[in-house]
Amino acid sequence: MNSPVLVAHALTKSYGATRALAGVDLAIARGESVAIMGASGSGKTTLLHVLAGIITPDSGSVTFHPSAGGAIELTGMGESARSRLRRERLGFVFQQGLLIPELTAVENVALASMINGVKRADAVQHAASWLGALGLAGMEDRRIGELSGGQVQRVAIARAQATGAELVFADEPTGALDSHTSREVMDALLWSTTGQGRTLVVVTHDRDVAARCSRTIAVRDGVVVSTAVDA
Amino acid sequence: MNARVLAMLVRPSPGQGGLIALPLIAFGVVTTLVLTVIGGAQSFWGWQDEYAPIYQALAAIALALLLVPLMSLGGAAARLAARRRDERLSTLRLLGVTPLGVGIATVAESALLAAAGAIAGVVGYLLISPLIGLIPFRGQALGWQAVLLAPVHVIAVVGGVVVLAVLSAAVGLRRVVISPLGVRMRTTAAGAHWIRFVLGAGAVAVAFGLAKIVPQIAGMVTTIVVVSLLFAAGLAVLNLVGPWALKVSARGWLKRAQVPERLLAARMVLDDPKAAWRQVGGISMASFMAVFAGTGVSLIGVMDSAGAEATDLALARDMRTGLIITLVASFLMVAASVGVNQASAILDARELHRSLHHLGVPLQTVDRARTRAIMAPLLLTSIGSALCAGILVFPLLGIALIVAPVSLLTITLVVAVGIAVVWVSTRATTPVLSRSFRAA
Repeated sequence: MNSPVLVAHALTKSYGATRALAGVDLAIARGESVAIMGASGSGKTTLLHVLAGIITPDSGSVTFHPSAGGAIELTGMGESARSRLRRERLGFVFQQGLLIPELTAVENVALASMINGVKRADAVQHAASWLGALGLAGMEDRRIGELSGGQVQRVAIARAQATGAELVFADEPTGALDSHTSREVMDALLWSTTGQGRTLVVVTHDRDVAARCSRTIAVRDGVVVSTAVDA
Repeated sequence: MNARVLAMLVRPSPGQGGLIALPLIAFGVVTTLVLTVIGGAQSFWGWQDEYAPIYQALAAIALALLLVPLMSLGGAAARLAARRRDERLSTLRLLGVTPLGVGIATVAESALLAAAGAIAGVVGYLLISPLIGLIPFRGQALGWQAVLLAPVHVIAVVGGVVVLAVLSAAVGLRRVVISPLGVRMRTTAAGAHWIRFVLGAGAVAVAFGLAKIVPQIAGMVTTIVVVSLLFAAGLAVLNLVGPWALKVSARGWLKRAQVPERLLAARMVLDDPKAAWRQVGGISMASFMAVFAGTGVSLIGVMDSAGAEATDLALARDMRTGLIITLVASFLMVAASVGVNQASAILDARELHRSLHHLGVPLQTVDRARTRAIMAPLLLTSIGSALCAGILVFPLLGIALIVAPVSLLTITLVVAVGIAVVWVSTRATTPVLSRSFRAA
């Protein structure tokens, strides 16, 4: 196993009387792709949100080990510091893209870099190269409403990569797609992450998607019940 | 769909208190303002002396001027009531409820919200009408009795607000395409054709010509009628040219945008210039009016010192009072309209805001972008409208500037207050954005 990029220890999280996480221990190695599976309400999305620093656990710790610099303990950070970490060093792909409808494809991708202080011209050029690499050359100036579901997801994947994120979280990235498009999107997602030496964490219901990842973690009632290494 | 199912669908779900409160408040504000304006105007209709027709005509003009911002506010309130149903509508479609059933549920809920808001608005009207009664015309206060509307008129206004809400909800349903997965499909950006500019420029040229010729060949009454028509034509031109002017300007902002908030703001305006105009059009008209008012006020001041007839002076003073009241009412309506539109837009984009928060996008970036998307068009249109009105009343404005520079100060002050009020209204919705952003 490669060195860990993310280590979670004894995570617990409750919403009122509902226990979403009940003591999760997890280590994710650099360059691997991990699928988190489980039924609705099993706690898998809460786990993803805690691992990504979107929310903080009630107890336990999450430590991010970037390739450069020292380890970063997410659970001890304030809201603004975690937001900054997410926009500068992590990438996200959501179920329905959730891109900004007023912006064009290339602007959606470039915006992430611009927020991090990159000049617009440089950000747009970099964004266009990612779109081209993901098979969207010539569609840079299209609005999101003019793209198909699969194309929207590839723009979202480009957005997740444009800032150079070494760890990408995807929440049901193929949940709204047909099986053919779903395969294409997973191809793009895996190529742009593990294919470039980066790490991917996917929450999914889809066994086919999980089978494409190097490891599958099953979550039930807020605990990890099994880990399987896929081919 | 039977009544029991309809009742279940219309019932607010837990945690939706804020979503219900916003359209309720909006409908309440609309009703209060409509009743107050009509009540104030009604007080002139009881007069029967030789000056009464002039007062009544001026009151009618003021009502006509307030109609546009009022309709804009009413429409915004109704759209807000209809939009909050989007998510539940998608679920209903998935459950197999027919489009007709979805329509009935939406319209019924909008009607209920509008009725409740309108009743609250009547209470608001009753509370502020004693203050309106204190406003002096013809040397004495109007009186509470004079501005109180008959119950049948109040009921008619409440009914009108409910009808507006129902119509807007029905139109909104037809416009917004809701797929069973709840994705609102937006493909191409809405445009604003350059032909608007050509038509607008032509209308201004004709109006300018009339403004110069008519006073030389016609009597006082004809001149007043023509100037009133020119005023109405000027407002129509503003509505025609406004969206096009915004589109052209926003293209320039887009080219020059180097930071995320400027890029977002320019794209927000370009996405639908007509919608951007609807948001600020009211203040633009108020700005247009301010030039007329400022000019009028300064010339009235000159008349005061020229030893005119006492009755003429009273009429002049009352015209000044009426103009100021109309401006204040316009600003209040526009501020309420901007607040409601902003709240509505935020509710529309809740899912997107949540995802932006997950990405680590700072709340301030989105907040600054939306503020800029309102304030930049606002500055452009308010200054543009003031210039437009200035051209139309150029000779009078020129005289006013020479004999009474206070005119310029009045104009500047009125426009500045209007802009500040809209800015405050925008900032007031920041907590709504913040909640939308941080929702888990």
